[in-house]
Amino acid sequence: MAVSGWFVALVAIGIAPIVVFADARALTGWLVLVIALAVLDLALAGSPRSVTLSREVPHRVRLGESVQSVLTITNKGRRDIRGIVRDGWQPSAGALPTRAPVSVPAAERRAITTTLTPFRRGERRAAHVTIRSFGPLGLLARQATIAEPSVIRVLPPFNARKHLPSRLARLRELDGATSVQLRGAGTEFDSLREYVRGDDVRSIDWRATARRPSGGNGQHLMVKTWRPERDRRVVIVIDSGRTSAARIANEPRIDTAFESSLLLAALATRAGDRVDTLIYDRRIRGRVQGATGAEMLTLMVNSMAPVQPELIEMDWSVVPALVSSVTSHRALVVLMTSVDAPGASRGLLSVLPQLTRKHLVVVASVTDPDIVAATRSRANRSEVYRAAAAERALLDTSRVSSAIRQLGADVVTGTPELLPPAVADRYIALKRAGRL
Amino acid sequence: MTVLTPTVRQGTRSSLFWLATLVFVILAAIGSLLLVGASSDNVTLSPSNPAADGTMAVVEVLNQQGVDVTVTTSLAETGSAITDPASTTVVLHDPDQLLAEGQHARLLESADNLVLLDPGFIALQSLAPDVHAAGAPEPDVLVAGCALPAAVRGGEVSSGGSAYRVDADARAETCLRHDDDNDNDNDTFSLVRLDVDGVTVSVLGATEALTNGEITARGNAAFALGLLGEDESLVWYLPSVTDLDGAGDSAALTPGWLTPAILLLAITASAAALWRGRRFGPLIIENLPVMVRASETMEGRARLYQKGSARLRALDALRIGAIMRLATVCGLPTSASVEEVVLGVAGLLGRNPPEIRTLLVDATPASDSELVHFSDRLLELEAAASAAART
Repeated sequence: MAVSGWFVALVAIGIAPIVVFADARALTGWLVLVIALAVLDLALAGSPRSVTLSREVPHRVRLGESVQSVLTITNKGRRDIRGIVRDGWQPSAGALPTRAPVSVPAAERRAITTTLTPFRRGERRAAHVTIRSFGPLGLLARQATIAEPSVIRVLPPFNARKHLPSRLARLRELDGATSVQLRGAGTEFDSLREYVRGDDVRSIDWRATARRPSGGNGQHLMVKTWRPERDRRVVIVIDSGRTSAARIANEPRIDTAFESSLLLAALATRAGDRVDTLIYDRRIRGRVQGATGAEMLTLMVNSMAPVQPELIEMDWSVVPALVSSVTSHRALVVLMTSVDAPGASRGLLSVLPQLTRKHLVVVASVTDPDIVAATRSRANRSEVYRAAAAERALLDTSRVSSAIRQLGADVVTGTPELLPPAVADRYIALKRAGRL
Repeated sequence: MTVLTPTVRQGTRSSLFWLATLVFVILAAIGSLLLVGASSDNVTLSPSNPAADGTMAVVEVLNQQGVDVTVTTSLAETGSAITDPASTTVVLHDPDQLLAEGQHARLLESADNLVLLDPGFIALQSLAPDVHAAGAPEPDVLVAGCALPAAVRGGEVSSGGSAYRVDADARAETCLRHDDDNDNDNDTFSLVRLDVDGVTVSVLGATEALTNGEITARGNAAFALGLLGEDESLVWYLPSVTDLDGAGDSAALTPGWLTPAILLLAITASAAALWRGRRFGPLIIENLPVMVRASETMEGRARLYQKGSARLRALDALRIGAIMRLATVCGLPTSASVEEVVLGVAGLLGRNPPEIRTLLVDATPASDSELVHFSDRLLELEAAASAAART
């Protein structure tokens, strides 16, 4: 049962008869009247229990986008339901409006549309629906909460996809497949074709030219074309341990890692390489293997969506075995983790030699723009100490980075905004150099 | 459809235990209160006060002896309680001096035998004008010393209370004398009986003798019963606020609708509380992620430096960063030694190497202001070096 503002107003209006009659019996009489009206109202209210609910929600939505959830209420009772409905979504599902007026005549149904704009990645749930059904006078209401669970999967936004077209263009240049006649920059022999003006003269294959019979108007020169190696393996390992929970520029490290992984995977799969992704802290939190093309990106965002950082230490000792379980060939292993303090990175440094012996390893880490900014602002005493601490943090990072480089791995760092394109650029550079 | 809200019947059933517990506790409280009883009366010399300073004991005994005791709290009530003035003793105990002179006069008219317990100044003025207060007597046992039957029967009486002095020319019977060794005329008394306009007025100062605590001591009991049990009925008058001038007028001034209006206001307030307080369905649970800013370790380290005044350590951290950047500016490898960087910077800026070396390596900050000073100079040096390298 619930009381409306009208009921309170009705009780308050009783002041008029009390003042006019100046008697305690006026109060009693008024209260009896109010209670009689309220009981009548409650008895005539439609039952919020005799309804059937169904909710239609899209299965997934990309973070930052809006979708519509449609709740259908079928009134199975004998009386009309007039009142308010609350569709019970979790706060971070960003449901609007949170309560909606509804009027369902008996034996009919009505739809209520709620716009969901989730502001957190993961699985957002709705638990129940609450219906408050007022009587014809609008004084009292019957209220019931009905379980109606739903779930919507909020995928990583993949904002870094805006960098994809430019990187793909560079990849095509690398491939020699552009309209500009550039010599393919790869190392793998692709084909022989006739020389056209603009080709690099260094790529003329004289032997093939000599072998070709000469036509009527002179000798045709043959050029060799190369293309980058294809069908190489890229293994992305994302650290979902305690350090990835830290927020840099109001974005958790793990989200930046996801963005970088998605951009790298999109790029590498277009370049013809095979990408496998692992999300790991002490157990495998997500795994995408053996997929290609658009399907792979879908699988990746799906497996990334529900993963939140765990407050446990990353177990690096298992990572070499994990990588070799994915592929037995030489691969590009990209470790998405944080390069912070020598103490915290000891686990990573201890397993790097095992990985670098067989694979090409790149460690990608987010740097904090706040720390760089703190080193430059030294207006007063506290800020000088802050700048000193920031310099110390930068020194720690550079020490760990140089230790990683000494162990034969590569380090890519960048702010949350710049790390995904930086990782993609490093991949293209490695491909151009034929080091994959 | 699974309805989560319990129906009225289910709700009653599930809360039945607590309802039953509540009812049981209330019943037990009422029962124990009735069984043990509670006396809220703690007025001194009140006939319903069972404590040591009450007079319940003497009144009970008087009741048993066949004296009809009535306790009144207003003058009108007293007037109607006195059915036959000739056979009624009226006891007046007015510690808060609520009665005015006119009320004393009316009391005097309606009673024949009046006992004043520890009267105040106004009561003495209007009821026994020849008697004057004389403070508290020495703690002593008082001897009757008069022909009054009650006092004679009592013999010895406790002295606690007040004493009175009587005008020399007054026709008064004085008992329970306090001897003043020096001056016989200056003697004070704890019981004075005199005749005022045909009414026997007894002024009793030794009120301790009537209390529950002292009634069994000495001849107190005989004295009290003799004094108060002279007549068939006893009216014990304890004036209350209703005797005050103007009392009862406030009720006449209040309009009749005020009390119901206040009640209605309270009911409206509780209805409004129900209206706003009713939750629209249960809360929906969500696990929220921890919010840790990555720069928090840096901030913590900065506060540690500042708290510990680790000036040299802080300055060294700033210097290492500056040296690494200067090495890049001078075109030296990052593995270059400090000496190489010092020489490189000195050559770039055309300054003295020892001066640069002092700033980059040797100087020790003695105070926080020096630390700020050195940090500013480091920034200047970096800015100058990068400007020189660009040209």
